[in-house]
Formats: sequence, structure tokens, C-alpha cells
Amino acid sequence: MSINTTDSVDVFLQGEKEPSGSWIFIVIGFVFSLSFLVLYSILYPGQDLPVISDLVPVFSGVFDSGIWFFILGTMIGIFAILGRLLLEATSE
Amino acid sequence: MDTVLTTMFYFWISLFIVFFLVQRGLWIFSDVAKGTVSFMLEKALGPGSDLVEGRPGSGARSWILQGTLWLILGSMFTFTSMWLSHDPNALHSLASWGFVANADELASAGFYATLYGSVSMLVIGSGFHIIPKLAGTELASETNANLVSFVWTISVLILVIGSQNNIILGVEIIPLGTVVNSVALLAVILNQLLTVSNRTRKMALPGWLILIALLSNPLLSIISIISGAADDSVGQWLSYHLFGGAFFFAGVAGVALYASSIASGNPLWSKTLVGVTLFGTVLTINPFGDIHGQMVMEAFGPLAENNVVAFSNQDMLAASFLMALVSIPVFAFASNMLVTMRGSDAFVDSPDYPGNAELNLGSWLIVPIALGSLFVQTDTVSGTSELVGIADSLSVMAGWLVLVPLSLGAALSLYPELTGRHLFSNNRARWGYLMMTGGAIFGLSITMIADFMDMALVEMMVEDPSALSEELRKVGSVMFYGVVIGSILHSLNMVTGIFRGELITADSVKSSSISVESYSLVTSTTVRKILASGANLDTEVIPTGEDDEKGSATKL
Repeated sequence: MSINTTDSVDVFLQGEKEPSGSWIFIVIGFVFSLSFLVLYSILYPGQDLPVISDLVPVFSGVFDSGIWFFILGTMIGIFAILGRLLLEATSE
Repeated sequence: MDTVLTTMFYFWISLFIVFFLVQRGLWIFSDVAKGTVSFMLEKALGPGSDLVEGRPGSGARSWILQGTLWLILGSMFTFTSMWLSHDPNALHSLASWGFVANADELASAGFYATLYGSVSMLVIGSGFHIIPKLAGTELASETNANLVSFVWTISVLILVIGSQNNIILGVEIIPLGTVVNSVALLAVILNQLLTVSNRTRKMALPGWLILIALLSNPLLSIISIISGAADDSVGQWLSYHLFGGAFFFAGVAGVALYASSIASGNPLWSKTLVGVTLFGTVLTINPFGDIHGQMVMEAFGPLAENNVVAFSNQDMLAASFLMALVSIPVFAFASNMLVTMRGSDAFVDSPDYPGNAELNLGSWLIVPIALGSLFVQTDTVSGTSELVGIADSLSVMAGWLVLVPLSLGAALSLYPELTGRHLFSNNRARWGYLMMTGGAIFGLSITMIADFMDMALVEMMVEDPSALSEELRKVGSVMFYGVVIGSILHSLNMVTGIFRGELITADSVKSSSISVESYSLVTSTTVRKILASGANLDTEVIPTGEDDEKGSATKL
């Protein structure tokens, strides 16, 4: 006895439009990774983070004012405009 | 005679002569001049003209988009200078790259980027669309307009670099930027004059406001040098304010008045008030801006000396009197804008459409800011100098709450006609407006409160700086960051709109309602829509019938 089921399409399918909620999962990913970094310092107090602890001192004295967060925001905005220009120019 | 009246007299006379020549032409030399200018604008550029497109509207589009991008840099420099005023060492790490950030120099860069980069480009770009429309002709050279926009941007970049380090390899950078800027402006003026010379109908007054704004800039430069005003402290102050009134205010008023009709769909309320605005901008001294002529001194470089501003009695009287008169064109402009936008119950276009809010904001705020500036400038001219402490904040307010909203609002209103598409998102434009307005109003008001506190402490001769004042400056600068975000949102919206904005349909095309003599009736419509397009009781409605004859192939 056989069960009639719908056969699979057997081709790769991908939507053209990006679902509006997809970015939420990226944000969740960032939040989790940040919380794991915090957890690391709780579980291993006094132990430096691998790789990151070597990189951070390179930037000490550079980003030591809150203004850099604002400048970073502006740079993201400018790159978003440039990215949009490049994307639209090459999309055809 | 004193400096103020002498310089003003030369300015009025030269402007009258130029206006007369524009109206009457150059007698038998008109055709030769037209041919020469036409050759200079296109053929003389050689292969340079092939670098850009010359499609209708491309010149205006290029200027407006670059002007919007300059908004981001202008707001960013201003924000950074506000931050450094309470935290001078915030960017000390950049010293390792050879850049020592300084609040005053960054504020100067912010002025150049905002006024010359953004406001000027938006006004000139809108002018490239408005003047041909009002003159009933095409722009003389779209290619030249497009190409020159990049020269202008380079000149502003040079000015911004010069504001940080004025002498590089022994060359004074700001005068160099001024020269490049003047060359670009000369090309713009020739292009517009050639367009006006081909006019097929009487040009409405907003077009003259834009043209006078463009012409006054080189005239003032020449007069400042010839009359010696450039080398005199009072003359520098006067030249700065005449530039502010005749170039910036007249230009912004011209594009804003045209856009108020376009944005609302209502006819421009009063021609007399536009005339009053036109004459007022030229005959009076505009009080917006700095209390010194530092920018003029930097622009003229070796031709100008650094002098301490000291007014003689005659200069003081003349300057105070001519500044007080500025309330006439300001009130005339604001009332004309607001009544035009309010209309007479014939507002067919959405009041929420991008550009309307900015135009409304600028029209409301120009009155209190002009009055505030009048008090501060009169205080300086009279030598009392009690309000000097708030001069910088008020000057930034005039830029970000009057000139930028009006020029940006006009550009946003003209955007659909220029690009053939609507903005990408009306919602994003609304957020851009809210962020810019909120950031500028709250950020600058809080900074001004800190200024008042510092002034009170100086008056009481308290030497220690107030901690509360420092905190307020911090809050003010953070709030001003909203302007940066708003600028980014507007720019992104306009750039994306060019590619993905909804295509405009015949129904949504707006037309200028400044002078409508006939209205072509293609399909059935309401009287409200006809009136809203600028028609009045004397407008001739012409029904355009359809042909039922059988068609055939077109003979070539």
C-alpha cells in the first residue's frame, strides 16, 4: 500500500524579495555573541579573550571619546548611500 | 562719505545697471554676445562636455543631489565642532595623522559645507529648473550646468580644506577655493542669462529673485575690492552681510516662493509682496550670520587685512537703520509663503508631501531668528557687545532652521518634476524632517541656554567654568546629532528614489501656478483642480478634442 504525497519540486527555490523580519535574526545573533563575550569574563575571570585582547590595545587612546560612536554612525550612513549608488548602478 | 553708505551706493548702482542690461540687452552686440556665450558654455569645453549627460533636467538634478550630500558633511562638521566645545581633546588621536581638530575651525568648515556646499547648490540647482520654466524656454546648456556642479563641489572641498589649514605649500587655500568657486558661478550666471535672453514670456518675480541673487555675488566681490571695503573691518562686516542678504536670502526666497506654489498647488498669494522681498533683500542689510567679517577676509586673502571691527558714528547709524529695515522683506516673504501654502481651500496635493513641512518651518522661524539676529548685530554695531556670547548659536540657527529647510524643502518639492519619480519613501522623508528639525531646534536651543549661562558668569566675573553649562553643551551637541541622521535619511531617500521611486503619472504632475494664462482640458475634471493648478477667473480653458479619423502609417 502506498501513500500519495506531493512530489518534491526538485529544484532550488529562492525568493526575490528579502523578508522584512530577517534582520531581526542577525541582531539576535549579535546580542548572543556579545552576551557570550560577557559570560567568558564571568566564567574565566582574569583571563584575557583570545585574539580580541591582543587587538584592543592597538586602538587604546584612539577611540577614547564618545564622539567616535557618532562619527561611526555617520560613516555607516555615508557608506549606505554609496552602497546604494553602487548597487543600483550595477543591478542592471 | 562713510564705508557703509559708499559700498551700498556702489552696489545699488551696479545692480541697477546690470538689471537694465538684462532687460534691454546689449543693443547691436546682443547676438554676438549670445553666440559667444553659447560657444563658451558648450563647444569651448572640448572633450570635457562629453563627460556628463545633457538631457533636460540633468543639470538641476546633479546640483540638487550634490547639495543634499553636502548636508551630511555640513551637519557632521557642525556637530563635531559643538562636541569639541565641551570636550576639546575628543579627537586628539587624529593628531598622529597630522590633523589637529579644533572647534572653531570645524565650525568654519561646517559653515562652508552648509552654506556653499548645501544651500547654494540646492538654490542654484532649483534655479536651473525654475528660471527656464518661468521664462517659457529650455535651459541654455544642460551639459554645462551638469559639468559645473562638479567644479563647484571641488571648490567647496578646497574651502573646507582651507578652513582647517589655510596655507599648504605656501599657497593660501581659501582664496584659491574662492577663485574656483567664482569661475563656476560665472558659468552658472552666463547659462542663466542666456536662458533668460531666450525667454518667450514675461518672467515671474521669483525668477528675478534667483537671478539677482546670482548676479549680486560677483558684483559684490568687485565692489568690495574697488571701494576698499575688503580691506576695512567695517567693509568686511558689511560685505559679509550683503552676501548673506543678496545672495543667500534672495536666492532661497526665490526658490522657496516658487516651491510654495508647486508644493501646495495654490497660486502665489501676492506679487507685491514678492516685489517687496526682491527690493528689500538688495536695499537692506541682512542681520543673519557672524558678528565679524572673518569669512570675507579669508576669501579675499592678500587683498584683505585682519582688522578689529570698529564702527564710526556714521557707519553705526547707517548700518543700524538699514538692518532695522530688513524686517520689511522678512515679513513680506514669510507672510506670502504661509498664505500661499495655506491657500483658499484648494489644496489638492497632500499637505504631508515631502518639502511642505520644511517650507512651512523655514517660513515660521525666519521671523524670530531674524529679530534675534537683529538684536545681536545691533548690539555689535553699537559697540555694546553684551550679546556676543549667543551670536554663534544664532548664526548656526539661521543656517539650519531657515536657509537649509527652505532650500531643501524647495528641492524636495521639485524632485518629482526633475527625476520623473517620487521620493523612495514619504515615511523616510517625514523621519528625516523630524530628526533634522528636532535636532536643530533642541540642540541649538540648549546650546544657547549654555551660552546665556556663560555670559552671566562672565558678567559676574566668575572665573571657574560652570559644570551645568558643560553638561548642557554635551546634551545640545548630542541632540544636534539628529540633524546628521536627518541629512543621511534625506540623502538616502533621494538617491534611492532616482532608481526605485514610484514613476509619476500624468495625474500627479504638478505645474507652476504663478502665471497660467490658458488651461488645456483633456479629460473631465473638477473646478477645484483647475483652480488649484493656478488658473484664475481670467484663465482661458481650452478643450482639447480627440480625433475620430482613421489613422494610417506615418510618412517619412
